[in-house]
Amino acid sequence: MNDLEPLAVALRFGFLAVLYLFLLWVMRMSLRDLRGVATPGLETGYHEVAGAVAPATTDAWLVVEAGGGLSKGERFDVFGGISLGRSPDADVRLDDRYASGIHARVYGRGSSYFVEDMNSTNGTLLNSQELRGEADLQPGDSIRIGDTEFIFEVA
Amino acid sequence: MSARSRELFALIPVGLLVTAGFTAVLITQSDQLGDLSFVYGLYFLGLCVATHFVIRARLPDADPFLFPLVALLAAFGVVMLFRLDDGLARDQANWFVVGLVAFSLTIVFLKDYEVLERYRYLIATAGIVLLLLPRLPGIGETTNEAFLSVSVGPLTFQPTELAKICIVIFLASYLNEKREVLVVGARTVAGIVLPPLKHLGPLLVIWGAAMVMLVFIRDLGSSLMFFGAFLAMIYVATARISFVIVGLVLFFAGAWFFANTVGHVQERFDIWLDPFEDAGGSGFQVAQSLFAQADGGLFGRGLGESLVQLPGASKDCLGEFPDCGAILPAPHTDFIYAVIVNELGLFGGAAVVLIYAMIAERGFKTAVLADDGFSKLLATGLTTIVAFQAFVIIGGVTRVIPITGVTLPFISYGGSSIVANFILLALLLSVSDKARRRVRRENEALEAEYR
Repeated sequence: MNDLEPLAVALRFGFLAVLYLFLLWVMRMSLRDLRGVATPGLETGYHEVAGAVAPATTDAWLVVEAGGGLSKGERFDVFGGISLGRSPDADVRLDDRYASGIHARVYGRGSSYFVEDMNSTNGTLLNSQELRGEADLQPGDSIRIGDTEFIFEVA
Repeated sequence: MSARSRELFALIPVGLLVTAGFTAVLITQSDQLGDLSFVYGLYFLGLCVATHFVIRARLPDADPFLFPLVALLAAFGVVMLFRLDDGLARDQANWFVVGLVAFSLTIVFLKDYEVLERYRYLIATAGIVLLLLPRLPGIGETTNEAFLSVSVGPLTFQPTELAKICIVIFLASYLNEKREVLVVGARTVAGIVLPPLKHLGPLLVIWGAAMVMLVFIRDLGSSLMFFGAFLAMIYVATARISFVIVGLVLFFAGAWFFANTVGHVQERFDIWLDPFEDAGGSGFQVAQSLFAQADGGLFGRGLGESLVQLPGASKDCLGEFPDCGAILPAPHTDFIYAVIVNELGLFGGAAVVLIYAMIAERGFKTAVLADDGFSKLLATGLTTIVAFQAFVIIGGVTRVIPITGVTLPFISYGGSSIVANFILLALLLSVSDKARRRVRRENEALEAEYR
């Protein structure tokens, strides 16, 4: 056509190339964000808080089944005993209108694990039964506080 | 690199793409290479950088990619409109500036978006009034038999665009308060978890509103978009997939009923099923759109190369170009995606879809990071309504779903769409700023503890 045609063709592919390079870059950053492997302290950093707070490992966990503003499958180490409740002081913070400040606690004694209701307003359900005081936990037991449900698991 | 530096850095390729786009269009249309495209590119980049500094001052922790991705969409819009018609591009550029100003004003004056939660019934009323305005005699106007816009004096605007923000704010606030009762009172009927009857009321009201929009305002696209966002929000609020299924069944039952009884809905369905049955008449738009996209191939015809107007065709037309004389009807609004695919090919079209997908990803990430219910629901709602709007129109143009007239967010020609979507983005960035600031502080506290 004329001497500008090569430029037009170059622009056509260049446009797409720059576009895709840009999108790839954004995608890479987003993926890093999603996987949470960013270096701690970076503005996108969202590293595993639970892992950092409790470096020691145990063989017992509470696994989130539903609710509480937690994501399903999230695991909480029972090591050293943990408290569950709506208060910021609770080890496992529940975003649940029916939860009390410190609603319940789960802890190990000897070789067994126990769950105890801390005089909560709305009560705790252990395997759909109302929990009075404390009770020992068997693997697979469900603990329900308001809309939030955990499953107790042992390695 | 801090979030804001990353944002600034991401604006550079956007500026480059604007310049490249204008250069390509100028070469094809007038065989000349001037400094005009650099002027336009710099102008665009300058506006974006200025807005970037407003974000830097007010929302330092906000998501770094949302604004550049949106700027990229706006760049697509301006370049495509420049390619169609100079006048349209000039209008669009002006609206882009107005949009950026509205965006900046929103983030400067709305210091804490959570106050919106307190005015929910006022905001809901405003939303409903906006939706009904086009139906008022005297100021309402119809486009393709749908009551879409309002014209007061020289100004015409589409109130649906603003209404969608109002409705999302209302739903976020309402669902945040009611989500527990919706879940706790739920009963299981024949294996399906149903919300308690007395709380089902509001849900039926929303469903009814979507149906009213379908018939009374005849706006299929907006009805689908609002209801989709509503279902996404109720799913996030209650984590009950059964509510979504019940909602979808209700919606499709309603849509099916109206498809069989109301003429204009029925026609849309028939065109969708077979646009070539009456390719010269009712199916013309969709058929032409499909031809244009197929013609684009993998890499497209090149910017400025697509045939949007037959030479001399506008002679027997009284109106001006995009409304009259175009081979592809409405190339500047509803069918702009078909023009993009024609000129940039499958890869260009896929890139546009990818940009929307990434905006949705950043929006949902914001919802995940937010730590209170209202923020989570607001981010989810704002994100899904934009994503659904893009889906509804791209789906319509590519014949995945029946074609309905909504604008392609940030790309299509139209002032109300651009301005409303920039206000929406300002809200989303405010939510993001608060959520990410909290995460950053938590991380810093942890760092300090271990040092």
